[in-house]
Amino acid sequence: MIGLWRNGTPAHRRYVLRTWAFMVPYVAICVAMIFGVFDEIEGRPAAWILAAALSAPVIGQLWATLGLMRDSDEFVRALTAKQFVVAACLTFAAAVFWGFGETLAGAPHIPAWLIYPLFWFFWGVSAPFIQSSRP
Amino acid sequence: MKNRLRVLRAEKGWTQEDLGKALGVSRQAVNAIETEKHDPSLDLAFRIAAVFGQTVEQVFDNPHG
Repeated sequence: MIGLWRNGTPAHRRYVLRTWAFMVPYVAICVAMIFGVFDEIEGRPAAWILAAALSAPVIGQLWATLGLMRDSDEFVRALTAKQFVVAACLTFAAAVFWGFGETLAGAPHIPAWLIYPLFWFFWGVSAPFIQSSRP
Repeated sequence: MKNRLRVLRAEKGWTQEDLGKALGVSRQAVNAIETEKHDPSLDLAFRIAAVFGQTVEQVFDNPHG
């Protein structure tokens, strides 16, 4: 993030600002949840509001990523799109593998929302190897 | 795609940042074209050629001819 801010384009800086704007409330709600602030509403209809509140920043962050592609020049757009696709494919593969593992092999259940941090993990791992827009 | 962008830029005494500003693209895009990590679109190739007052084929090697 610091590198993107220092060396990036205006589109990169907008992306960094948007990411912080979405991730700060997301982390704040998560921390509050960990400390039991929402224990009373878990399992009740009001928990859907909490689920929506946690999902909204994630959707916003995806929008910020797509915005980065839209606002960037052709190279940054192509490179970001390539990194996005590779990370998404790795995430799909891992999720499908683990899902079948749960169904067929008794693997422990993993909450579906972990797919999103997993996506960024795969992005971080694969992006250093994807530095060309060429096939 | 092989090209003479780095040489042409050096002749003008421009940095990648300078050329990026002239073309309306990022420094990273200029670097990627120079190091053959990005094949520019036809539009960008024409803009690059225009900035240096050359034809596209004087800047970029035609891989098909």
